[in-house]
Amino acid sequence: MALVGNIRDFGLSDFLYLVDRGYKTGGLHLKHNDETAILFFERGKLILASRKDEDRKGELLVRLGVLSAEQLSSVMQQMQQRGNGVTLTQVLLDSQLLPAEKLQSTLQTHNEESVYGLFGWPEGEFRFEQGQKPATDSPVMPVPVPVENLIMEGVRRIDEWGRIKDRIPSTDMVVKFIDQPGEKAKGVKLAPEEWRVFARINGRDTLAEIAQKTNLGDFDTCRIVYGFLTAGLVEVLKKPKPAPLTSSARGAQVTEPPRLKKSLVNRIINRIRGM
Amino acid sequence: MQTVKMVISGAVNAGKTEFIKAISEIEVVSTERRATDDTKLIKKETTVAMDFGRIQIADDLVLHLFGTPGQKRFDFMWEILSEGMLGLVILVDSTRPETFRETNRIIDFFVSYRDTPYVIAANKQDRPNAWSPDELRLALRQPPHIKVMPCVASDRESVKNVLLELLYVILQRSED
Repeated sequence: MALVGNIRDFGLSDFLYLVDRGYKTGGLHLKHNDETAILFFERGKLILASRKDEDRKGELLVRLGVLSAEQLSSVMQQMQQRGNGVTLTQVLLDSQLLPAEKLQSTLQTHNEESVYGLFGWPEGEFRFEQGQKPATDSPVMPVPVPVENLIMEGVRRIDEWGRIKDRIPSTDMVVKFIDQPGEKAKGVKLAPEEWRVFARINGRDTLAEIAQKTNLGDFDTCRIVYGFLTAGLVEVLKKPKPAPLTSSARGAQVTEPPRLKKSLVNRIINRIRGM
Repeated sequence: MQTVKMVISGAVNAGKTEFIKAISEIEVVSTERRATDDTKLIKKETTVAMDFGRIQIADDLVLHLFGTPGQKRFDFMWEILSEGMLGLVILVDSTRPETFRETNRIIDFFVSYRDTPYVIAANKQDRPNAWSPDELRLALRQPPHIKVMPCVASDRESVKNVLLELLYVILQRSED
């Protein structure tokens, strides 16, 4: 069953998150006015992205300058001879016409740029065909690429409050790290401003407080946290109501952090010893 | 839930990621990719590496471990990270003396303007060309009361020892 919708309602970053978390394999077809795109995923990772039909053929490698037309022709002949569903990428790697790293980096750059451009689409229909694989003669990346960085980069290009507000309705909400970021958080690269926000996340401060402390505006702070949220690094919660003050605590300096107690340090020591 | 924080710093490739990975109870959130990753080359001006790990001490207490970015251009982030930290581990690649000067700069940054509890972890002691902790103390011009611990960041027991030494330093300074 295909998943269909519109990225106006379910953003591309949200869809990538779904593909990633669900370890989806398949083809995501997108259409905006007269533009189309297709992204192929294998177990949640990107293996091919194209904005033009001709980019899904071996000729792309000639256009990108990593193969000559003669080399491509020879590779295509080998493909036909070997048959049995052997892929262009497999034949290329076996023939050692170009190093695997070169093939990977060239295709990865091309694919990533193709995806980044899609984040600028304000709307567009999508259809995800589960299990669909690219044609064997498509220039598939040898190593599938995790989508977290695509999400982060995509979110950097979001400039609408509306989409962010869907997930972060108020700046009075508190941001905390999720307990088990797991595999999903690996390899995410942060820009300095994102990093500043990341370092301020403590499970207590609201988005408004983080915005104030980082000197970033509410919008930029929310946009950055939206990126973390979409990439599965953090969760955003309503700020808990403060507990009623006990008589002994009444009048205490609530903003002043308590000095560290020996008992607390000993608890940490005992825990580390027992690990 | 109370959260306390330790910072793991050191020059590029000192072993910060491995150190945190060895002890963290969660899969370490690492924003650094392998040096061979081409995307790093493409985006090196705009991205930064850091690591984040976590140890649940008790139901009401969590220890966060933050690895700082090694690159000099991100010094300004150290300030942010060091706010409210319990203590600091300075990791040194014992096999690369060319990084010692940078290590000293990092120590100066964290220690000059505040009385931060810290220990130095002489990492990669399993390598044949590693400088010993005593040699490192001299190379880094550290006073005798500063602990310079032998360390292999990929070895959990070794990492535990470093953290425990730091905690003993913190304990001495804490109140009853």
